[in-house]
Amino acid sequence: MIDLFYRRQAMILGTLSMIGLLVFWQIAVDSGFINPFFISTPSQVWAEFLVQLEDGQVAANVGATLYCFAWSMGLATVVGIVLGMLAGWFSDVEAALEPFIWFKYSAPTVAFYPLFVAWLGYGTPTIIAIAFLFALTPIYANTLSGIKNIDRDLAKAARSFGARPLDVFLQVALPGSVPVMMAGLRLGVGRALTGVVVAELFGANAGLGYAITYYGQLMQTTKMMVSIAIVILLGVILTQILSYFETKTDAWRVDSGPLI
Amino acid sequence: MADVTTDRTTPRQVYFSSFCPSRQGIVGTLAVFAFLVLWQLAPSLGWVNGRFTSRPTEVFLAAIEIFRDDDFFFHARVSLTEFVAGFALAIIVSIPLGVLLGTSKIARYLIDPPLMALYIAPTLVLLPIMVIWLGIHMAPKIAVVFLGAVFPIVLNTMAGMSEADPRMLRMARSFGATKFDIFARVLVPGSLPALLTGIRLAVGRAVLGVVVGELFVSQAGIGYQLNLYGSAMRIDRLLVYAIVVSAFGYTLTVLVLSVENKVRDWRSK
Repeated sequence: MIDLFYRRQAMILGTLSMIGLLVFWQIAVDSGFINPFFISTPSQVWAEFLVQLEDGQVAANVGATLYCFAWSMGLATVVGIVLGMLAGWFSDVEAALEPFIWFKYSAPTVAFYPLFVAWLGYGTPTIIAIAFLFALTPIYANTLSGIKNIDRDLAKAARSFGARPLDVFLQVALPGSVPVMMAGLRLGVGRALTGVVVAELFGANAGLGYAITYYGQLMQTTKMMVSIAIVILLGVILTQILSYFETKTDAWRVDSGPLI
Repeated sequence: MADVTTDRTTPRQVYFSSFCPSRQGIVGTLAVFAFLVLWQLAPSLGWVNGRFTSRPTEVFLAAIEIFRDDDFFFHARVSLTEFVAGFALAIIVSIPLGVLLGTSKIARYLIDPPLMALYIAPTLVLLPIMVIWLGIHMAPKIAVVFLGAVFPIVLNTMAGMSEADPRMLRMARSFGATKFDIFARVLVPGSLPALLTGIRLAVGRAVLGVVVGELFVSQAGIGYQLNLYGSAMRIDRLLVYAIVVSAFGYTLTVLVLSVENKVRDWRSK
């Protein structure tokens, strides 16, 4: 028993702290320390979640958010990996893209939100565009560094056995950079979700971010908390899925020194 | 915990001091130049509607107008105050917390799961609830900046502390170092680069927090102006403000990055 506790210490204490946090929240409100208007309670949020689940709101909002998420993440994956590969293989492409990527990296994308509204209108296209830009940078940067930092010895070995550059790219650089790419995708998932939800906060007619703003303006904290909790859960779940794939592909990692 | 530090582009420095331009520099400059020329010409050639894209020259003129008379410094001061207050709070809270979590295993196990959840999850979704709690003035933006900045710093400080070189620790201990000695001489210098990485990542999130907060609801600030000119379709002025924010974030990031690299060099000596 004690042995089990030590092996699973992280999980047990982590679960305990989560439960403790919820209990503390419930008690703090029930005992009158905090006005429930401001923060609601876990039991109310749960009850409201069941209500929203029943009348289909949860499904509609999660569906709308995931739809935008899937589009933006798909676009960012394709564009980020293709650009990253080109930039990693041809140094001129990297040099040409560098100023734009640096700008993109340091600019808060949301500052251009009104611009996207002017171009694409309120709603889904703008949300996808913002989330796409959010997710693009880590995917591009990691693909680039993965391709650039290929194992020199492996590349040299391949070349001395008569591999053409294309062969080196396909057989050495690409497989070697998959784990780093996966790390980029994991970071991208979190950012894409942030992008979707933030863009939905501003202007949408469905989605979790929309629900948060809508109920926020009505000051209905409990209903708002349901969507906030779902967003946080979605972030954790999506990132965990990608982490799983990352460890799966980690075996392919060619040791190329301390990457990023 | 190494994954926390992965969120950065390859640590390539931007060299300002190269007087003889490298091939890289030339290609980069040419690309930017080509982009600007294309942007300038596209509306006149009828490829895009100039009303939606503006032109570099228009943006430049708008910049002069704005700096001369648009209450630019008033709005910039509001945003800067929010940024500095939130960021300072984040640093004050996160470094001790990171040190605690990095040195105590029990504390780490207890606090890590909620911390990780909030680090991964978009903290910006808490903005509407912050508005309900704190009103529509500076306070909710400070809170959002704080929430955005605090987690990267905590997690990186923690990673830096708990990933101290075990050989160093053993050596310090066998030479009779007390716990405090180990902390002050081994752990603190060892975790400084990770702490700075955390601060660098936090800068981006904090700037984003200010802008999103002000776009969401505000009465003054850069985000307010962005919203104003966005809804008035003054793309040129909108771009000036967006570029100012970007330049601010860029400068700060590069600054922290250069300190970070200095510390890394100094440590490896």
